[in-house]
Amino acid sequence: MDFDGLVNDITDIGYEWHKDLIVQNSANNVPYMDETLKALNHPGADKTDSAIVISAGPSLHYNDSLSLLAASDYNGTIVAIDGSYVKCLKAGVIPDYVITLDPHPTRIVRWFGDLDFEKNMAGDDYFSRQDLDMDFRENSLRQNQENIELVNRYAGQSKLIIASTAPANLVQRARQAGFDMYWWMPLVDNPDSAGSLTRKMYNLTKLPAINTGGNVGTAAWVFAQFWLKIKNIAVVGMDLGYRQDLPYNMTQGYPELVQMLGAENVGSDLFPVIENPDSGEAYYTDPTYFWYRKNTLDLIANSGATLYNCTGGGILFGDGVIAMTLQQFLSEHG
Amino acid sequence: MSDFLKGTYTVDKEIVDETAKATIAKDEFKKKALNSIGGSMVFVEREKYVWDGDEEGK
Repeated sequence: MDFDGLVNDITDIGYEWHKDLIVQNSANNVPYMDETLKALNHPGADKTDSAIVISAGPSLHYNDSLSLLAASDYNGTIVAIDGSYVKCLKAGVIPDYVITLDPHPTRIVRWFGDLDFEKNMAGDDYFSRQDLDMDFRENSLRQNQENIELVNRYAGQSKLIIASTAPANLVQRARQAGFDMYWWMPLVDNPDSAGSLTRKMYNLTKLPAINTGGNVGTAAWVFAQFWLKIKNIAVVGMDLGYRQDLPYNMTQGYPELVQMLGAENVGSDLFPVIENPDSGEAYYTDPTYFWYRKNTLDLIANSGATLYNCTGGGILFGDGVIAMTLQQFLSEHG
Repeated sequence: MSDFLKGTYTVDKEIVDETAKATIAKDEFKKKALNSIGGSMVFVEREKYVWDGDEEGK
């Protein structure tokens, strides 16, 4: 299968993989849904002028975006995704909101410090392929314990925007850490279509639904743009691509591509290099990241919204995306 | 016919269906592959951004 064919199949692959789990998790989480997004007070005037969405791509590490943000006096809204949350705390950035989406039963809780670390990580090298943060790459018991303590200390200062699809261990971990939790559900398909998963989840939860673009970074942007209605939204760490010196086998989906297609069929054609016209640099991507990019650009284009990309690299460029440095965004909207 | 072949004895050795085991392993393999490649969430809807069923028909 070639790159375009695989990208075109991802919608169906994701549907098959998630269709039962997201409905089941939504049903299981109903007893914990004390507050929904509707109970969320909209931010004050300063906070609605601008927001920075902190995604978890490798540029967050290499460009040191969080140090710049921490050193600024930025008083807009900060939305972190689950994968960047601990890194934010380590840099001294306390997000207003932390958003989580993925229903994976063992991996996602890791971003908040996993109380069953050894059991959940057995035989899974996912985090050793995270290009984001050497601490997560190291994947040690010590790091995990530090993350548990860090999250326990700061959880009360951020609102957790938690999807109905969250796995049970994450829900329990978030409650134990002391987050204020505001529930929503992913708007995955047309609720009026036959057999709609969105409709099934709504019938179980009665939650408001937000589109996600298939990934938590885009979901964070949709949340800031269409739920909080913030005027100017920047993203950092939204690479959707890799530096060219990173070996293919260190990318997130590599082992799964090998499993699916066979090692002999996983070559450079599945990792096309794309030049970013804004930065003049080239990055390679993979089918899933390219699918995320396409989804995000579609959502931007279909809404007429503008996204300020302060990632400083990566492959997110196109209509509605304005590249600028984080420094520039902070000086204009800080 | 199978009734005639039914034995009146028990077999000491446990019979393991290797074919079934291999099928299960293959399914698990496929599931794991789908997990990462399929993204973090189903994404089919490209027009709506937020939706609240309570507001249907309004």
